[in-house]
Amino acid sequence: MLWKNTYNEFIKILAKPRSYIGLAALTLLILIILFAMKADGRMYISFVTASFEQTLSFNGNILNGNLIAFIVLQMLIVHIPLLVALVTGDLLSGEAAMGTLRMLLTKPISRSQVVFSKLIAAAVYTFILVVWMGFLALIVGRWMFGTGDLIVLNSDGLVILNYADILWRYGLAFAVAYLALMTIATLSIAFSAFADNSIGPIVSTMAVIILFTIIGSLDVSVFEHVKPWLFTTHMASWRSFFSDPVPWSAIWESVWILLVHNILFVAIAIFKFKRKDITT
Amino acid sequence: MNQEPIIEVKGLQKNFGAFTAVKDVSFTVNKGDVFGFLGPNGAGKSTTMRCMLSLIKPNAGQINIFGKNLFEARNEILAQVGSIVEKPDFYKYLSARKNLEIFARISGADVSQQTIFETLDFVGLTGREKDKVGGFSHGMRQRLGIAQTLLHKPELIILDEPTTGLDPQGIIEVRDLILRLKNEQNKTVILSSHQLAEIEHVANRMVIINKGQTIIEGSVSELMNAQETLLSVELLERSNEALQLLQQQFPTLKAEVISPKTLELNVERSLIPAINAALVNGGFAVVALEPKRTLEDFFIQMTQN
Repeated sequence: MLWKNTYNEFIKILAKPRSYIGLAALTLLILIILFAMKADGRMYISFVTASFEQTLSFNGNILNGNLIAFIVLQMLIVHIPLLVALVTGDLLSGEAAMGTLRMLLTKPISRSQVVFSKLIAAAVYTFILVVWMGFLALIVGRWMFGTGDLIVLNSDGLVILNYADILWRYGLAFAVAYLALMTIATLSIAFSAFADNSIGPIVSTMAVIILFTIIGSLDVSVFEHVKPWLFTTHMASWRSFFSDPVPWSAIWESVWILLVHNILFVAIAIFKFKRKDITT
Repeated sequence: MNQEPIIEVKGLQKNFGAFTAVKDVSFTVNKGDVFGFLGPNGAGKSTTMRCMLSLIKPNAGQINIFGKNLFEARNEILAQVGSIVEKPDFYKYLSARKNLEIFARISGADVSQQTIFETLDFVGLTGREKDKVGGFSHGMRQRLGIAQTLLHKPELIILDEPTTGLDPQGIIEVRDLILRLKNEQNKTVILSSHQLAEIEHVANRMVIINKGQTIIEGSVSELMNAQETLLSVELLERSNEALQLLQQQFPTLKAEVISPKTLELNVERSLIPAINAALVNGGFAVVALEPKRTLEDFFIQMTQN
């Protein structure tokens, strides 16, 4: 029954215009960035490298597909959660608002199976978003700008990564970024289990992200013990793959914290949904 | 009529915070019944129906369906139940056929494409299967809702206010569908309504609830016959003499002359044929016998008491 309902969920997601908003917005944003870099990328790069030009000499294709992919990831990773929440926040509450949840739950399928089938559909949708972003940023970026060494400006300074040493970093970076986005998906599904309208869970998810991000950026001692446990603190841990050497222990810590958040949010969603009176 | 109980609801209670929606509802539905579930708006009908489909968990009471506890054998029971609660809602962005496929896939039975087309035909939606439900009228959605309940060939069909919002033609169509379900497919149907005419037309047994409590349960005809009806008797002439005759033959009869041609009597429905026979045998030309008090009066009397 789980897989049958998961198949149903795919049909619903594919048929909903809302599902394509995320993909269309992502495509448009990345194409705009690619166009802007093609038109004025040299100026942008020289602005970044200007402070190093007295001590370093930059040769070769600096403005390459690898750098473009990094810029795209950095710019969009803040906005993609909204695109994810737009679809996943609607999965349970949207059906409650439409009245179809009432129809669905009079069938011989358990409520846990309903949540899991929606979770699987959300995971696949989020995966498609990440793969599409990777394709546009890395493949189309490389096609338009060629390849070359990746120069990354970190808090520690300038990191230059050999072009042959980059693809695996992107692979793992996208995997961790996917886990971070799944945290958003599970959070919005948890909110969705409490609500009977579509907008509430989407707005609540974004409100939590904004709140946690603000707490994370405040240099106040009272929040120092809280910050490491906020999932938003670990959402940008994909960037660590572009450090040299790679801080594996910090990355593993982030992965664990994100995984625990995922499990916690799914558990909350199931706990609430199993006890919910369907009155809509 | 087979007396095998399909549903047994005992002492059902449901609170929403401090508000008690259902206080004490009990009834039994037998196999093959078209069972009317009557009550005014806010009586607790929908809450009871939702409890029977495990959409809402009751605070107290017991619901046995097919001899099993609903909350212990939920999936097994629901695989044999088709239902519409309040109004059928569908995925508006999907076609009628896609919607039925979605619900068929999780119905617990293997539903073929042919069954889907046959069911659409049964409810009169042939030719509209590819149309998006968003463009359907309320009546068409009701019919699609009934199609959805039948796909997996359930033993028991639960319909909560299935004619709400329908025009007279739509009401007749749904009523006809319910009778066909009973007569052609021998289904057990529970039908909730606050419209008594609907129950009167299709149900053989019924329960009346009010303020979350069972008021009365029984056969529709027995409840109707046990109830005194205001009967208007129209004669060609001599209504005074007809009254005397009737009072001789039925000493407890409450009756009065309205006009030289009209009498009004308070009688049990079961006595109406005997009254007619007495008048005809007494040489009176009976033009019409018109019961003026219906189940509605009974319902109002019951719920007000």
